Amino acid sequence: MLRFLMLACLLGALPLVSVSAADENASSFGRVAIPAPMKPADASECVEPVEVMRRDHMKFLMHQRDVTVLEGERNSKYSLVGCMDCHNPADASDEVVRYENTQHFCAGCHAYTSVKIDCFECHADRGLARSEQSELVSGDQSRHLSAHTFSQKLVPARVD
Amino acid sequence: MIVPGVMLYQTGQASSRSSGQPRWGLLIDTNALNESDVDACVRACQREHGWNSVPDSKTDAQWIRKVKLTDPESGHERFLPMMCQHCEDPPCVDVCPTGASFKRQDGIVLVNKHTCIGCRYCMMACPYKARSFIHEVLKDQLAVAPRGKGTVESCTLCVHRIDRDGANALPACAEAVNQEGRKTIWFGDLNDPQSEISQRLKALGALKLRADMGLNPGIRYQGL
Repeated sequence: MLRFLMLACLLGALPLVSVSAADENASSFGRVAIPAPMKPADASECVEPVEVMRRDHMKFLMHQRDVTVLEGERNSKYSLVGCMDCHNPADASDEVVRYENTQHFCAGCHAYTSVKIDCFECHADRGLARSEQSELVSGDQSRHLSAHTFSQKLVPARVD
Repeated sequence: MIVPGVMLYQTGQASSRSSGQPRWGLLIDTNALNESDVDACVRACQREHGWNSVPDSKTDAQWIRKVKLTDPESGHERFLPMMCQHCEDPPCVDVCPTGASFKRQDGIVLVNKHTCIGCRYCMMACPYKARSFIHEVLKDQLAVAPRGKGTVESCTLCVHRIDRDGANALPACAEAVNQEGRKTIWFGDLNDPQSEISQRLKALGALKLRADMGLNPGIRYQGL
């Protein structure tokens, strides 16, 4: 009888436990939290509806990279630089969020879905304001190439 | 194709001169360039694209180099900037097994790093030693110049500026030395007979480096 009562209590408590866990946080069951990437503060909408971007952003980027490299079309709305300017802007005062950090706009979902890309082995993983680019041309010899990050000194040219 | 670069037969190839496309080129007046000017060219390129050269390294990035020419008789020295010559018939394109090394319609020779497998055939084929290979993992590349380990790179003629400004663009090296009304490097359309660079070439002539190879480089040198 005692055993039956205990079982009944346990069964009765189970739904309560699961409901409260789902409400609070899925990770209390050891699951990976669904990423909630930060939305850009100064833009209301992306270049396509969010559902389209979630599913097809890689197709846009893949197409755009060939158009850019082969034909020189750099002002398209699907440019990776454009993505970064909006989704990971970096100015001199901010700490740069790197792709290795799951707080990075791209990295959160890629980690969640176990996608491994190599875009950012070559491409900048943060936006770079146009004003900063022009400073690169006129700055002094040993200044940083991008905010906080690139501190290699430029050395004089080698003579051949 | 017998081996890369050697064709048994070739179909007729359209000459870029009749295509109506521009062909971008540079005219470099070596009479007006001294050593510090050429250093300025190299530094400007480094800043623009975020590469740097390492002293005494045989494998560092070399988008543009300073070349010193000395006349052994008189001891006269001359300095010139040396980079990808953007050939009309680029040997690097002939040998590339993946088509990553390619010539754009406007004559700029580039590496498509998305398809480059890092075999470095193009580095072997280039008679101007214009290309270099990235041996190490890089961080914090600039937005205008994506570069990464395992790919070959070279001068792009500042293609991001050209795509933005067209004939009014000025590559970073030229911008660095064309200061205060002084003009030592001209950029322009070699196919347009009315362009400043073509007019100057017509009036003064210029040298194509290793013209004997018939590659028809887009970079021309005056005063050599």
